[in-house]
Amino acid sequence: MEVAKSEICLTWCPPVPDRSDPLSAHAPPHLVLKTMIGRFRNALYNAIGNLDVENAPNGSLLANGSGSHDGSSSTSSRHSFKNSDMKVKYAYQRPIFLQMFTDDEIQVTADHLVRPIMVPRDIQILPWFAGYAEAINAGKSLRNEDQASFHRGVLRTQDAPEDDLECDREWEIPYVYFGIFDGHAGSGCAVTAANELHQMVHKKLMGILHHLVPDATCPSSCGQGVMWFPSRDISVESLVIGALESAFWEMDHQIGDDKRRYKMLGGCTVLVSLFILGKLYVANAGDSRGVLCRNKTPYPMSFDFTPVSERQRLQQLGFQKPQLLGNEYTHVDYCRRPLRNDVGKKMLYRDAHMTGWSYKEITPDDLKFPVVYGEGKRSRLLATIGVTRGFGDHDLKAQSQNGSVFIKPFLTPQPEVKVLDVEHEAISEADVLVMATDGLWDVVSNEKVAEVVHNGLKLYEEADEERQKYRFISIAQDLVMAARGKLVERNWQRNDETPATIDDISVIAIPILAYKKEYAEWESEHRYKELKYPKSASTPSLNGKASPKVLAKKHKETPRTDIQPRKPEAEPLKPRDTLVAPTNSSSLKSPDTSTADEDALEAEINAEIGVEVSADDDQINEESVK
Amino acid sequence: MSYAYLFKYIIIGDTGVGKSCLLLQFTDKRFQPVHDLTIGVEFGARMINIEGKQIKLQIWDTAGQEAFRSITRSYYRGAAGALLVYDITRRDTFNHLTTWLEDARQHSNSNMVIMLIGNKSDLESRRDVKREEGEAFAREHGLIFMETSAKTAANVEEAFINTAREIYDKIQEGVFDINNEANGIKIGPQHSPANPNMPSGNQGGSSSGGCC
Repeated sequence: MEVAKSEICLTWCPPVPDRSDPLSAHAPPHLVLKTMIGRFRNALYNAIGNLDVENAPNGSLLANGSGSHDGSSSTSSRHSFKNSDMKVKYAYQRPIFLQMFTDDEIQVTADHLVRPIMVPRDIQILPWFAGYAEAINAGKSLRNEDQASFHRGVLRTQDAPEDDLECDREWEIPYVYFGIFDGHAGSGCAVTAANELHQMVHKKLMGILHHLVPDATCPSSCGQGVMWFPSRDISVESLVIGALESAFWEMDHQIGDDKRRYKMLGGCTVLVSLFILGKLYVANAGDSRGVLCRNKTPYPMSFDFTPVSERQRLQQLGFQKPQLLGNEYTHVDYCRRPLRNDVGKKMLYRDAHMTGWSYKEITPDDLKFPVVYGEGKRSRLLATIGVTRGFGDHDLKAQSQNGSVFIKPFLTPQPEVKVLDVEHEAISEADVLVMATDGLWDVVSNEKVAEVVHNGLKLYEEADEERQKYRFISIAQDLVMAARGKLVERNWQRNDETPATIDDISVIAIPILAYKKEYAEWESEHRYKELKYPKSASTPSLNGKASPKVLAKKHKETPRTDIQPRKPEAEPLKPRDTLVAPTNSSSLKSPDTSTADEDALEAEINAEIGVEVSADDDQINEESVK
Repeated sequence: MSYAYLFKYIIIGDTGVGKSCLLLQFTDKRFQPVHDLTIGVEFGARMINIEGKQIKLQIWDTAGQEAFRSITRSYYRGAAGALLVYDITRRDTFNHLTTWLEDARQHSNSNMVIMLIGNKSDLESRRDVKREEGEAFAREHGLIFMETSAKTAANVEEAFINTAREIYDKIQEGVFDINNEANGIKIGPQHSPANPNMPSGNQGGSSSGGCC
């Protein structure tokens, strides 16, 4: 590959590697002349794109809408819908929870010389004293284009449309959401996503609320499947995953619409963590990363989507829909860029369906620019962008002669969702989820991050409760510090004298145990409610959601002496996977379940649970006899 | 509001000496008896007038806790003035001045004006550090010295403004290179041909890539 690189340099001049900017221009060698112009244009584009129209005319960092930057429309021909008269949807901001509301404050955070590490002023503002810290880039863009947000939400059955839910009593399911967005070529998309994605997620979760309610009195719509055409088994987990996925797609779609109405340049990557019903869901579209740190070991909770990691998907798309490549790019990958004098010679290549390499004879068609080009952080999709998933960029075109090659749909909002079963996983104080943009991960390895987290926790081991509150902010700060390093002469350097990142850095550190405790509390609370407001005997449908095993464990983990003895009503749930499961005979019973049936069901459940609850059972039986 | 110059200050000193309260008294003219620990860094800004020139003070209020020390260090760079604060009722905060000063000297530009402040002068009955000791320390290390009370506002204005005056004088004498942002001084927008928001160096993103 080294040889290949030097050969390329003879024909065209790839830009100096920029490890941090996903939007840097490369051009196919057959566009050498265009490249020269293109580079100039890109220089302008970058300058204007970053100072984009979100900027108020007076140069203030806080725009209030009617920006009137005139130069923008003429320079960036790569963005097709652009109108300098359009307003921005949201003024530029830092994460709301940093409480930086004045122009002055935001300007101070944008000090490229010092790169101050910003943390929330209010230690309690994030749930569970979770930590957050950020630092701006070293001058690659005027503003910090990373954004972040969190949301503590509650799904209320009373807010659901009438026909959706027919519960006998109200349910409130709490959740906590964190999002981190790495913007490029402007901050509009990232700011929009930070302000709106959680609403979209909420909407999608509301849409499946009847599946989430751990209550047999709420019939699920899927449960009405008839015998000969049964509906499918759908787990709560896959419904939440689906809610996240559809929220990502809808958000991106809406950003596409917004781009026609507002000045909203560029795009952003998206990393979301959602804590709901005892589970942690990490949804990722882009190259930010979530890592669960446990003692000194990192457990990745997301996968980085880059042109290299997504090579096969991108190639496949180009192969299936060649028109997307505009006859200027090829879906084939070569061991090096074929040159004109390679025609007729054999060269190692990888087609869309290949993971390994093989030989083919180079034809003139192979001289087209590959859909994925470059290595690692330098890799580019369609010679244009370094990320392959995220929001925005609907208007972004690849460099091409006729200007018809769009980065979408190669760039997709599709997230990958990973799940951690917090409720059943053995979780300790040492479990911390670190979510961060590539500013951190580019220079600090997962292992090093886990080590920093570990050391950070150790530092506070002996501390009193008051000081303990600071640990996650302190950890987040240490992580940003590790990535940003210090300015030595004119270079940002890490402690070990390796180069630090010049990119924006944002880090969230979330204690998992705190959520586990909070969930256990909620769990016992809602069981308490069940006792307080016993369900009516009329509609005990068997379409419960949580598995008895789940419940059994809950009972063991959160014994509540105050609500003993447990009544049979307190056990209305049946396995979530048995909406129609033929293996569990009880699921085929008539919906009009009698107390005896419930007892039978409970006995079955208890059998699974083990002997621990047998004492309770006696009491329950006595209770039900009464 | 337009200004002729912007001076960047940093407030340093042990935890609990009243750094945040000094800032609050100066920017908002109020005193907050119970103040949360500062984590990381806080900011304040206020316009003052020196010799008919509008000067904007941008003040960075740092965390005094040891745990944040390494991060605080990086904020010395690019500060034109520093307020080094101790608590006159706590000798340990006075004893730590040497360490703070070493830190400041090591990580700041050599022209940074340092004002030594003995805060909580309203608590005369609990005084633990004599005024003369503060004066002597300041003299020995070439600092300006004042005793202040963030509670009663005594000398707070003066502390910030005298520091600014010193910096202003240094500019007049040509000691500060005002075109170098690392000195913590910016020329106001209408006074400068270039956009002051632009970082001075290293603006190139991908576009700056040269040819091989």
